[in-house]
Amino acid sequence: MKEKPLQQLERIRERVEYVFALAGNPNVGKSTIFNRITGMGVMTANYPGMTVEFNLAVTEMDGRRIGIVDLPGTYALGAVSEDQLVARRGVLQGRPDVVIVILDANNLARNLYLLLQFLDLRCPVVAALNLVDQAERSGTHTDVELLSEFLGVPVVPTVGIRGDGLDELMHQALALAERREEYPIIPFSYATDIESRIRRLARRIERKMGDLPYGLSPRALAILLLEEDEEFLAALREQETGAEIVAYAGSMAREIEREHGEKAALILARERHGIAGSIAASVQERKEREKARWGERLWGYTTSFKSGLPIAVAVMGLVFLALFWGGGELASLFSRFWENVVGGPAQRWLESVLGAGTWTRSLVWAVDGLGAVLEIALPYLLVFYVILGVLEDSGYLNSIAFLSDRVMHRLGLHGRAVIPLISAMGCNVPAVMGTRVLSTRRERIIANTLIVLVPCSARVAVIMGGVSRYAGVLPALALFALLFAVVLGAGLFLNKVMPGESTGLVMEMFPFRRPSLLNVLKKAWMRLKDFVYIAAPLIVAGSFLLGLLYESGWIVKLTTPIKPLAEWWLGIPAVALLALAFAFLRKELALALLVVLAAQAIPGIAESSSLLDFMTRGQIFVFALVCSVYIPCVATFAVLWKELGGRATLAVTGSTVLLALLLGGLAHLVLALF
Amino acid sequence: MITEKMEEYLEALFKLSCEEGPLTPTRLAEHLGVTPPTVLDMLRRLEAEGYVRYADTAMGQARGRGGKGVEKGHGKGETGAASRGQGRARREIFLTPKGQRAARTLVRRHRLSERFLTDVLGLDWESAHREACRMEHVLSPEVEEKLAEMLGNPETCPHGYPIPDQNGHIREEEIKPLCDFCVDEKGRIARVEEEEPQLLQYLASLGLLPETDIEVKDIAPFGGPLLVKVGDTQYALGREVASKIWTRKGPAKARRGIGWKGEKRAR
Repeated sequence: MKEKPLQQLERIRERVEYVFALAGNPNVGKSTIFNRITGMGVMTANYPGMTVEFNLAVTEMDGRRIGIVDLPGTYALGAVSEDQLVARRGVLQGRPDVVIVILDANNLARNLYLLLQFLDLRCPVVAALNLVDQAERSGTHTDVELLSEFLGVPVVPTVGIRGDGLDELMHQALALAERREEYPIIPFSYATDIESRIRRLARRIERKMGDLPYGLSPRALAILLLEEDEEFLAALREQETGAEIVAYAGSMAREIEREHGEKAALILARERHGIAGSIAASVQERKEREKARWGERLWGYTTSFKSGLPIAVAVMGLVFLALFWGGGELASLFSRFWENVVGGPAQRWLESVLGAGTWTRSLVWAVDGLGAVLEIALPYLLVFYVILGVLEDSGYLNSIAFLSDRVMHRLGLHGRAVIPLISAMGCNVPAVMGTRVLSTRRERIIANTLIVLVPCSARVAVIMGGVSRYAGVLPALALFALLFAVVLGAGLFLNKVMPGESTGLVMEMFPFRRPSLLNVLKKAWMRLKDFVYIAAPLIVAGSFLLGLLYESGWIVKLTTPIKPLAEWWLGIPAVALLALAFAFLRKELALALLVVLAAQAIPGIAESSSLLDFMTRGQIFVFALVCSVYIPCVATFAVLWKELGGRATLAVTGSTVLLALLLGGLAHLVLALF
Repeated sequence: MITEKMEEYLEALFKLSCEEGPLTPTRLAEHLGVTPPTVLDMLRRLEAEGYVRYADTAMGQARGRGGKGVEKGHGKGETGAASRGQGRARREIFLTPKGQRAARTLVRRHRLSERFLTDVLGLDWESAHREACRMEHVLSPEVEEKLAEMLGNPETCPHGYPIPDQNGHIREEEIKPLCDFCVDEKGRIARVEEEEPQLLQYLASLGLLPETDIEVKDIAPFGGPLLVKVGDTQYALGREVASKIWTRKGPAKARRGIGWKGEKRAR
């Protein structure tokens, strides 16, 4: 599973002259810079852990082809967490020609730690001092030249979001790659007693061992061994000479521990922080500001409990308001446009050209499918993605994570998991991948189960375009509340049932940043692109297929076996259940097909009220409920399989199907009372 | 046999160790207003008596070898290499447990005397401090006890510094889990529970190391997480994580300035 991007990298390597890696702490704007450099669409957000797997792209610079690897944001290159491991693997196995380390000018000392680790590994490094504009505004001035001198690597000030300094950065990286041999890479020396041990160990490694894993330098390996890095300890123990080295390194590490009263790994970390801190202190000048910036003050309000909770509620309210009102307006706008300009004329044209046969009528279904995309899914998706973009880029989700830690604890998770859960409202797929930041398998299973239950934008579109549009706002809100309760209930249940305990929250908190409108729109478009290119054709094809089944009469045979389940238990038409089954491909499909079905089943009526002639409000509610709870789409299924393995995935999937049917049936029973 | 002069040194060392930064002979000399050679001389005597530890050979060599690092650096890295040596070329003085005990007793007597001189005799703070500097060396344990009793076992001296109890225990030095801290309280990480080496290492890579200053900015109610500030960075720490970070309460900032200056002038 981890080999895939690396293999991809190998393929890319054959086509390009150089490979650069982008590395840096979480949320320093790596992905923004990556997007700027490559012109590719990578999701960015103002919170840690957005890029978990690494992104690859090829770009051209001065007529040279360069492969760019965007490593996950990480604080260090240790072996203690998944993001660190992925980043390290990307560097050690990917062997980039240059590592571009992106530093946050606002927090130089902490950011330099990672750069020092890259120097320890003897990677050729170019540093980008990002977010300099923000730092200057808040009174922190950095002497870039002095920093470059101290580090012995080129340093370029950049403002990633505006693209300032990125050309210079790439030129510097290219220059370094071209004249790699001329640039000495000088790792910083540690305190003398530690350094002398590192050198002694390195000398012994050099003498005794031939090729080192990943072509590491003896010094780099020596440091890793003293840090008792599990991956390398295990790798060396397998060799005969390696085992001896491991024993030697172990005795050294114990010596250090005896002298300093702390583990060697901690001493080395302390040393690095010390070096990083003293460099930062000597190259940066800061003016204390009397007044906190608006971002910081607002931030204080959102994290403090008394004001934070009402704010969170207000934000949620605004989100729903924008969805109901904005989405609704857009939907009727699109709908008018479609009826008058495309849909109606197209249908007449088809009938006049091809005559009125089964095939023609099936094609009309397909045209209606396209209409459903435009009228139902697109408006709500568009509004939702813009809102999500603003929430992500402003960094407000951090505050939510902080506020919700306690509740998440009850669900067997911690505050950090709330971020994948919220991003699951955009799409479940990246959210599932995002759960890799969670440290235990228990947490990942719980988080993924909950993610799958969180209504993604497609399901939000189904609820908004179906329930809210036809059955009213209150039923839609009720459905959201019900889904929320389902997620909570599932979490509480799993936390009770699954053995083990939840781990604690450790998360960096970022102050607010002003979201850039351009960035938000770009991101919305990137997300929408996926829908337009993948979901829309699927919906059109699905509509055509369903139309063919319907017009040819096959549909009766297909729906007969599921009739009892659909009509008796869920109380919806059997064909609607068929539409639900189709929705395994894409969730939007469910409603789109349903609308097409309704339009065709009741001939003569093509306005927006047609769905109500086909199904009652209650039926639409049950339909949307089942659609929202049962297994995610096939893409989520695949990514779950990759992350959790087959058994857990099947268990999660199976239980959601059962839960959906159970809830659907209960809702039918309850609604029948009214 | 401990002399009055030695006691002065121990007391100074104890007070300096409560402040930030390494405990070097230079700082000690500055604090006492004497020359470094005098300090070194006294340090040797104190070490011979087992009150302090100073000749830390491993650390001592750092200065010499750190210099060599400069030769290694060439080209662009030169300046960097030079500065690397300086940062850690320091020899620190440590009080041994015996030295700690002696120093705390002195501090207790000094501050009790101050209380007595200001509260009972009505001296001003400045004079009280001067007098107390002499009294601390002549009080017997018995008088010390009676004095404390009469004053009602005060917790702080007139300047607001804590008075150690008979066992030399200082309330402010208490180490408690970070989760027991209040909002806006500052402290210094003492240790991280070691049952979870992974957590320890992860925190270390973030810079949450022992002897790091930490400030609690906000605490979510009902067992929610803590918002802490370390250096320039804010972190959210879950309660269960914070309960594993044992932290020493830092001396409050406002108090420090006035007190030390006053004592320095008195010398």
